[in-house]
Amino acid sequence: MDRVASTPVRMVLAVLVTCLVSATALTFTYEATRGRIAEQEKVAEERALRAVLSSADSFEAMETSVLERALDVSGGVPVAGIWRAIGTDGGFAGFAIRCAPRGYGGPMQMVVGLDRDGKVSGVSIIKHNETPGLGTKIMTEPTFLQQFMGWDAFAIDVAARGYDAISGATKSAHAVRAGVVAAGRVYQQVLVGLGDTKGVTIDE
Amino acid sequence: MSVFRRGLSVDNPLTVLMIGLCATLAVSSKVDGSLFMGLAVIFVITASSILISTLRSLIPELVRIPVFIVIIASFVTIVDLTMHAFLPDVYNFLGVWIPLIVVNCLILGRAEAFAYHNPPRLALADGLGMGLGFALVIVVLAVFREFVGSGEIVFMGLSLVKMPEWYRGPGIVMLFPGAFIVFGFIVAGMTAINRRMHARTIQPMHSCTIEEGGPK
Repeated sequence: MDRVASTPVRMVLAVLVTCLVSATALTFTYEATRGRIAEQEKVAEERALRAVLSSADSFEAMETSVLERALDVSGGVPVAGIWRAIGTDGGFAGFAIRCAPRGYGGPMQMVVGLDRDGKVSGVSIIKHNETPGLGTKIMTEPTFLQQFMGWDAFAIDVAARGYDAISGATKSAHAVRAGVVAAGRVYQQVLVGLGDTKGVTIDE
Repeated sequence: MSVFRRGLSVDNPLTVLMIGLCATLAVSSKVDGSLFMGLAVIFVITASSILISTLRSLIPELVRIPVFIVIIASFVTIVDLTMHAFLPDVYNFLGVWIPLIVVNCLILGRAEAFAYHNPPRLALADGLGMGLGFALVIVVLAVFREFVGSGEIVFMGLSLVKMPEWYRGPGIVMLFPGAFIVFGFIVAGMTAINRRMHARTIQPMHSCTIEEGGPK
């Protein structure tokens, strides 16, 4: 079969047409799957929220103004969402903070739960790009995420000094710590008081 | 038909041509992940082979690689989005390996070596054969690694077979070195079978033309 000659015009045309067709196909796939993907992300987020604050019954998202103030104090760690947790008794149960500290393979999406006393009640990693077998140890080493439990938001920098990283996964481990520290700072400087006052208005 | 069978036996991408190994060794620690990885590769390689073969007279030789890559990347992205939407758990397990199918030399290698020079009918057979050959080996590898390594095969949350309680799997099987060792045995087994079955017709272990000009 005769093949078209590699003249400049034909080459540009071939690549251009291929890219156009492929972009069109991808647009349609993206549109078709977008809804379901968003739904799945929501489920994953919900699961992480429940994991970090097991005593909570429901979660309500905080306003964007709170989020903006949180970004000022988080020390460069992006904060994507803050939820006020409501316990089974209807009262304030704690805060869950979703943040994205930089890991070895880019931002690591995680949720940190803090109970009503400002103690870390759980850390859950939703999405990450860490090296399989090394960076992923932050999730597979049973004691690693456990060590953050009970860290005090009001003395988060002190707590952060005594922590064990994982050899071979130092950067990934530091990222998790950065996320917990950022969540602690946000709790201490922005959220403190917000939980209870709102809880009172709900009671009334 | 013979083109199709070559992908499964004497030209098996994994055990004979030894291309596309890194993804194989990485994801073959779980059976369900491996199965869907295999299906994803079958889809991508078949679809892109047919398309490239159909368009082969329209693709100028000097820009063939960019065109191949765009075509392959589009199919991979379609798989990526679909899996993300419908199989979130498998998608999370496979993680970066799904987008990395784009640079899997198996697919670009077959596009370059076969689909670009053969009619769509043969390209379809080659894509299916190569894809199935890949899927078969990766699933066999995963069945062994998951069963021996963790003592239990969990498929989509369902426990299929389980070792007795006292069983403690050797951890190395779940790690990369173990994958290499198990894979070595599979290669040895496949070579023995190929030799026996094709001793008369095909000289065993002849070199192939895939690597030439193909990616790493």
